[in-house]
Amino acid sequence: MTSIEALMLVGIGTPAALLIVLAGTSVLNRPLWEQLTGRLAAGAMTISFLAIVAALLIYITTGTGEMLVSYGYWSTAHEGGIAIEFLLDGMSLAFAALAAAIAGVVSAFSNRYLHRESGYNRYFVLFAMFVTGILLVALAGNVEVLFAGWELVGLSSALLVAFFHDRPAPVGNAVRVFSVYRISDAAMLSAAVLLHHVAGSGSLSLLFGRTASAAGTGLSMTSATTIALLLVIAAAGKSALLPFSGWLPRAMEGPTPSSAVYYGSLAIHAGCFLLLRAAPLLEQSTPARLLAGALGLATALFSALVTRVQSDVKSSLAYAALTQVGIIVVEIALGLYTIAFLHLAGHACFRLLQFLSAPNVLHDLHGLESAAGEHHGAPALARIETMLPERAQRALFLFALERGFLDATLDRVIVEPFHRVTAWMARLDRFLCDFVIRQTPSLLVEAGDNRDE
Amino acid sequence: MSSGLLPLAVLVALPMLIVIASFARVGVEPLRRSALVAAGGMLLVALAVATTPGMRIVIVRTSALSAMPGGDALLRVDALSSALLPFAAGLWLLTAAVTPRASLDRGGLRRTALATLLTVVSFMTESAVALLVLWIASVWTFLSAIEDPLHRHQRRVVAAYMGISTLLFAAGVALLVWSGATGTRLEIAGIWLIVAAALIRKGIFPFHAWVPEVFDHGRLGPAILFSAPQLGAYVTVVLIVPRASPDVLRLVAILALGTAVYGAALALVQNSARRACGYLFVSQSALIMAGLDGTSVSALAGGLLLWLSAGVAFAGLARCVLVLESRRGRLDLSTYHGGYDRMPVLAISFLAMGLACTGFPGTLSFAGQELLVDGAVDAFPILGFAVVIASALTGLAVLRMYFALFCGRRDTLADTGIQLGLTRREAWTFTLVVVTLVGLGLVPRPIVDSRFTASEQILKARELRLADTPARSF
Repeated sequence: MTSIEALMLVGIGTPAALLIVLAGTSVLNRPLWEQLTGRLAAGAMTISFLAIVAALLIYITTGTGEMLVSYGYWSTAHEGGIAIEFLLDGMSLAFAALAAAIAGVVSAFSNRYLHRESGYNRYFVLFAMFVTGILLVALAGNVEVLFAGWELVGLSSALLVAFFHDRPAPVGNAVRVFSVYRISDAAMLSAAVLLHHVAGSGSLSLLFGRTASAAGTGLSMTSATTIALLLVIAAAGKSALLPFSGWLPRAMEGPTPSSAVYYGSLAIHAGCFLLLRAAPLLEQSTPARLLAGALGLATALFSALVTRVQSDVKSSLAYAALTQVGIIVVEIALGLYTIAFLHLAGHACFRLLQFLSAPNVLHDLHGLESAAGEHHGAPALARIETMLPERAQRALFLFALERGFLDATLDRVIVEPFHRVTAWMARLDRFLCDFVIRQTPSLLVEAGDNRDE
Repeated sequence: MSSGLLPLAVLVALPMLIVIASFARVGVEPLRRSALVAAGGMLLVALAVATTPGMRIVIVRTSALSAMPGGDALLRVDALSSALLPFAAGLWLLTAAVTPRASLDRGGLRRTALATLLTVVSFMTESAVALLVLWIASVWTFLSAIEDPLHRHQRRVVAAYMGISTLLFAAGVALLVWSGATGTRLEIAGIWLIVAAALIRKGIFPFHAWVPEVFDHGRLGPAILFSAPQLGAYVTVVLIVPRASPDVLRLVAILALGTAVYGAALALVQNSARRACGYLFVSQSALIMAGLDGTSVSALAGGLLLWLSAGVAFAGLARCVLVLESRRGRLDLSTYHGGYDRMPVLAISFLAMGLACTGFPGTLSFAGQELLVDGAVDAFPILGFAVVIASALTGLAVLRMYFALFCGRRDTLADTGIQLGLTRREAWTFTLVVVTLVGLGLVPRPIVDSRFTASEQILKARELRLADTPARSF
């Protein structure tokens, strides 16, 4: 085993091991005490960060270029088996290092923020699940590993939204969040299966690596477009692009550290990272690029509007983050991959800071006002709105306040018809069952009944 | 007795001992403890059979029950059945361990042991006649478990659907045995009848309506024990896949794929926890059936793997609902029940087993689902994605159930100190199931390879049989 292979194993293995230890002790109803959990989490994040940074340094200094690190088949060596592979290049290692660094910071913050919280252990189980997932997404060498990480990120996110699970609102919101994630997961899995089906391989190195960047993915236009569109949908769901943005404010129910790491810095950029990873495929498909660009632009404009009317700081920050995510997606659609990645990394760090300090924002604002006096005058952008007719201003305000009526629209277009159709199906089932009982010869149906007499 | 037959004799003897003991004047809890020991022993022996190569190949053929050349394998253990034996033993252990005391009596333990005996013997035979006898016996056992007048509706549904299914199966077996040669019209007609019987038993659309009714009304425990082993799947693999034409298998797969989505969609919107379990079973059962269409090794291996993983996961999930019901009464999913802090092990187990049903990474079903999706899309480039949709909907349904059953409400009883948590036996059993599902999910290779071996054997037998079959339209 080479040094970089060992470092990768350690880098991803330590959060996974933390997950197994914390989850295992929880299942055995022997959760570890708070101090030990905090120390284990801190230790695991630190080791993971150091290992990944060391791998990044080796990658940079040796200049070997893109590497596919394989640990053999996990499920089976037969056809359809899943191999454990990691694709190491500048982007994946940089994103993984960023993720590990942010995870370490948030872990330390959470240790104090959630001190004596009754769900402390549960939080760190889900946090470990998230870190494992995001590292798998960052470093995945094939679509199966990518999908596994994708699912881990989604589930941990939904369960953390419902962290305060003795209240109905967080739980209800978690279901809504997870429903969007499932659409994203379905699109992701469909893309993965289709890739296998048409390309005969799920290897990201072959499909999206350096060779693919130079010479194209080798897929037909139709296949490339279909797969690329599915990946755009998957990214849109995970990154809360339109029309899926409705879940984002609902996700603010979770504890602040989880909001910071998920919806400020890492999980919300997972969709952007996916598009960056699949850049060769996007380049081959103009419709997919147009769709990504359109969604990104619409999301950026929408979020810029909505963020300004939010009444709580976390929702405001969430939409502010979404504005930048939209812009990053536009950059990707335009082929500005380096700018997009740098934008992503910088934004992740900046937004993390904002989220983590959100509980203090009012306190800090009052302190600033005390020192510098109250701020008068509207921001520059607000003056643009005053140029509009009053009726338009009110309509715009209502649109922003209702967050684009997205939830109501999705309810009307998808949820309610779904309920109507399934209610009809359930009635049909009852009718079918009664029909069969009535039509079945009484000898069969009454045979059991006769025993009562 | 040869060394290969001795462990099989033990597997049969252990449940039989409990059946016999149940007629004695033994207290219910001592009998339960005996059943647990027997089930545990059965599981160990079955695992030894599954993991020891020398024990795995046992064949006893006879021409007495079939006109087929070479006769039928009345008793055989091969790659397929060697994994099913510990599966059956595990289901018995789960049932004996977590059935609430209020639902348990000597008769119940007797029927549980008897059902396990029938299942195990079924998994050891390829004889169509023997399978028919065991099929009838299993239906009778289920009916006898729900003969209380309170369960009249449930009994009528079971009697109607399983009665029709049994008649079709009997007619099909008669034609198969009578035909005596492959490819004859009699054999083809027999296969169609057996297909119909299996579709009813498995709850495949349009014969699925009995499943949610049976789960929703009457006794849930016997419904789980009757459904979980998937005897319909076994009949499919042993009798249908080796003989049926590609068109028949294709039709079955299409119905199954549609049913998988149908079941998952309806599970998502149910307000009754029991009915949701029923539709979840419909969906899972259909996914297994979709994999058994026999057109590719990987799809068949995926179906065989899901049979085990989703079978255990679903049985555990439904048992969680049963355990909760014994404490709270009927469970309405339109309201939040809370109680996580009092029963964290049950909540975590429920979630883990539910996620195992959906093929979540880290559980055994993940590997099976990946194989199944790949195989389904290869066979049906568009309809194959139904597996993806079914999985997405199932995951959402499971999470909705989890939140409704354990979250959303402050646990006021916890403040009073009233203990309604799990008993130690229940907690350890659910923990064991979760550890098994996740442990095998993290290290799936041995079991996945064994399913590939089984699927290769099945398809090879099919190729040999079809090579001898004259071309004939179905």
